[in-house]
Amino acid sequence: MNRYRYLLRKIGWSVFTILFVLILNFFLFRILPGDPARALVKDPRMKAEAREALRIRFGLDKPVINCFETLTPLKLGDCRVNPLDTQFFIYIKNLFQGELGVSYKTNRPVADILMERLWNTILLIGAGQILSIVVGVAFGVFAAWKARTAIDYGALITGLVAWSLPTFWLGIILLFWGSNHGFPIGGKATPGASTYPLFFQIGDVARHMVLPTLTYIIVFMGEYMLVMRSSLLDVLAEDYILTAKAKGLSNFQILKDHALKNAMLPIVTIIAINLGFTVAGVIQIESVFSWPGLGGAIFEAVESRDYPVLQGTFLLIAVSVILANLLADLTYSYLDPRVQSE
Amino acid sequence: MAIQELELKPAIPASPLTGFWNVFRKNRMAVAGLVMLIVIVIAAVFADALAPYNPRSYEGVQAEDIYKPPSAQHWFGTDDAGKDVFSSFIYGARNSLIVGFFAAFISIFIGGTFGIIAGFYGGWVENFLMRFTDTMLVIPDLPLIVIFVALTEPSLWNIILVIGLLGWTTTARIVRSQTLAVKSRKFVLRARAIGAGNWHIIVHHILPLVMPILVVNAILVISLAILSESTLAFLGLSDPLAISWGQMLNFAFGRGAMSVGAWWALVAPGFGIVWVVLALTLLGNGLEQVLNPRLESHHLMRGRLTVQKEAGETPSRSAFVKTPVVLEVQNLSVEYVNEGKPPARAVENVSFQLHEGEMMGLVGESGCGKTTLMMAVNRLLPSAGQIVGGKVLFNGVDMATASDQELADIRWQGISIIFQGAMNALNPVRTVGDQIAEAIRKHLPVESEAALEARVVELLELVGIAAEHKDHYPHQYSGGMRQRAMIAMALSCSPQVVIADEPTTALDVMIQAQILELLDELRRKLGLAVIFVTHDLGVVAEMCDTVLVMYGGVTAEYADVDTIYNAPRHPYTQELLKAFPDLSNPEKRLSSIPGYPPKLDALPAGCRFAPRCPLAFERCKTELPRLHETGNGHIVSCHLVENQ
Repeated sequence: MNRYRYLLRKIGWSVFTILFVLILNFFLFRILPGDPARALVKDPRMKAEAREALRIRFGLDKPVINCFETLTPLKLGDCRVNPLDTQFFIYIKNLFQGELGVSYKTNRPVADILMERLWNTILLIGAGQILSIVVGVAFGVFAAWKARTAIDYGALITGLVAWSLPTFWLGIILLFWGSNHGFPIGGKATPGASTYPLFFQIGDVARHMVLPTLTYIIVFMGEYMLVMRSSLLDVLAEDYILTAKAKGLSNFQILKDHALKNAMLPIVTIIAINLGFTVAGVIQIESVFSWPGLGGAIFEAVESRDYPVLQGTFLLIAVSVILANLLADLTYSYLDPRVQSE
Repeated sequence: MAIQELELKPAIPASPLTGFWNVFRKNRMAVAGLVMLIVIVIAAVFADALAPYNPRSYEGVQAEDIYKPPSAQHWFGTDDAGKDVFSSFIYGARNSLIVGFFAAFISIFIGGTFGIIAGFYGGWVENFLMRFTDTMLVIPDLPLIVIFVALTEPSLWNIILVIGLLGWTTTARIVRSQTLAVKSRKFVLRARAIGAGNWHIIVHHILPLVMPILVVNAILVISLAILSESTLAFLGLSDPLAISWGQMLNFAFGRGAMSVGAWWALVAPGFGIVWVVLALTLLGNGLEQVLNPRLESHHLMRGRLTVQKEAGETPSRSAFVKTPVVLEVQNLSVEYVNEGKPPARAVENVSFQLHEGEMMGLVGESGCGKTTLMMAVNRLLPSAGQIVGGKVLFNGVDMATASDQELADIRWQGISIIFQGAMNALNPVRTVGDQIAEAIRKHLPVESEAALEARVVELLELVGIAAEHKDHYPHQYSGGMRQRAMIAMALSCSPQVVIADEPTTALDVMIQAQILELLDELRRKLGLAVIFVTHDLGVVAEMCDTVLVMYGGVTAEYADVDTIYNAPRHPYTQELLKAFPDLSNPEKRLSSIPGYPPKLDALPAGCRFAPRCPLAFERCKTELPRLHETGNGHIVSCHLVENQ
């Protein structure tokens, strides 16, 4: 009973946050001054008909929302217009139909571009996340096990240094090193590889993934290691560990059966809290390695000022992060029996 | 004379700041971070004097200067425009630090304000602010910052503003929880009671206590802001007029440094970012350790080996109970090792014998070494604890020197423990039945899972817990049920000795009585020997056969229960009994013993009870009394006994 209420509360909260992001995404691009579509239709050198055609194409002939004709510059409008005939409503309607506008640069629908790229990002995050958690947790357990020894301090310093590395710079350095050691200099596949057998293609993609994934692991492993170390140290100081020891269990049994699950719980929370950093890291890694994912899309959209792509990417990333957060919350409630009866 | 005066100085009470500095400078991490930070701040402030070239001027730059490797003229080589990388590197420090500090200031201001207001006012204000914070926390920062900067103009101040306005969420959360913790402290309540206004309370009482955490958080926020700025610049969103490390990397990466092998143009700016961020990270982590020191020791750390010294006086032979001895402690002494200080004697020269079916009461105030003694018996001392003398004989095996394998076998099957406050003694993420089954599986041959389950159910029913609770988690149990489950677990491997370490503290009186009754009944039914650690003399009188009274780590008195209650010889026992109500004499005035037991690292020179003893005389202050046997195994450590 309580469990369902907990789930409902979390799901309701995520829906609310997604709505907030949808609204934010709409108004940001109407309030901040930089959108070239609006700049373009104000260009005085353009003929009136051409300007009107552009306005209609970008949907700028309609009021932003009831009472407001435009937001920058602020121009009040009629409050009694049909709400269905405002830019805001059309934006929401298009979203529900999966339309995110058309790229300024390639004239392709943004939704199509993003769908292609989403899977590449998921591939990269999936590999990087799994490996960095495994490596980080393993080192963290080892460091806590050897608490207050040289190994422990070494692990601590390594973790702090890894945390301090700017992701894009580490990527550049690894790329610089890798390109001199036979690794591909970027992209997801060798051009023309699609004509080769599947086995070769998989190997090719894997080869392209080595350096981006390595960057990902180095950057994120440090934090997982530090969190795991301190969490395990806390757990090992708990009374129930003493109980387990008094029961005659060996240190290995205690670690395996009494400490690890409890100490892993904060890792789940950290994964959720860090999703924002994960996104930031992926944007940088994809930019450096020209990986054709969502992060790379942001980099390219900024370079070419391709705003519909930027807007769509932000929306997709934000919604994914919110959903992943929800997933982490639900996982946590499943792992920790105490949450259900909160 | 001058030297003596100098040495006297530390005796003057140090100001809080000096005290802080003394702790701070011992933390190598924090000092390293501070030094690294000072170096880079100096470079940034004196950039005009330190940089050999003007990075904005193209004067004297020639076409062949592009991407020249490091040399005496150009320490870090030259960049894509033939300019000196080292000069740009130094100027880059300036912009990194400006963005970091100003953006962090904005973030800390917003987050701090939100956190304090939410924590202080509570109610709907808190609800609204924290919901908003949670929403902003979930939305990924960097894409949002990129959008803001891309839609406005990438000037230095716009970048500062955007990073600052989006980086406050963690601060708000941390400050709010600290405010909540501080708000209910006594002096805040007192200030409120005497009519201080909200603003006054926030500024004078709450802010000073939130400040340390805010400072540590600010350092982290600065480093995040610097990382954000460099990432933005690398993505091409930087003030074209302000040289920054991220921008240098953007140019080098985008303009062929990679293909011509100009590693210096790529390494130098990144090195600058790592330097600043690492400096701040080390400083922040170090400060955190200084402000919030953690005891980094845990139950799995290797304990110290027993040091065998010459046994002191001859072990006493108690003759209270006529059954065979199962556990015999001889002249046991335990010390806690303190770094940089002499070790603290927690238990000194304690001896007792436990017979089959005997229940021994172990009494004394908190901090008298009762728990240490019991943990030493089972070799479960924390890593700082060390047995420095004596023996613990269990069925002929000396626990003090037993191997890991011998210990693992004797624990639970030979000697089990009912821990106090059973909430934390049970693992919260495993079911109670599972935790009981685990002990059985470890020590006894298990024929089948069904037999094991039947045994768990049998044990739970023995302590009055219905079988269906087997698969519940500890938090689903009431306090009394948890304590019963702990008893069931302690009995699961049919031990010969059970140590009950204050098994009823924190339970209400009815439950206490039930649990004690249960324990007594089980002892009689199963023939257990029990050591009952408690403050409650009433329970001891009712249930125990023998009593060991401890004070300041030593045996004060050891005798059978009748002797202790009817003819106590040690003033401490006598005083303890005065503090305990007597049903046969309801007129009795209860009195407590003034003062506290001695601290283990500051034991008095003579008898440890002397400072509080109403009968103390000169000799008590200088000489620790021997253990006197006054006949029939009654042991007393008091000079008065000798005189009589």
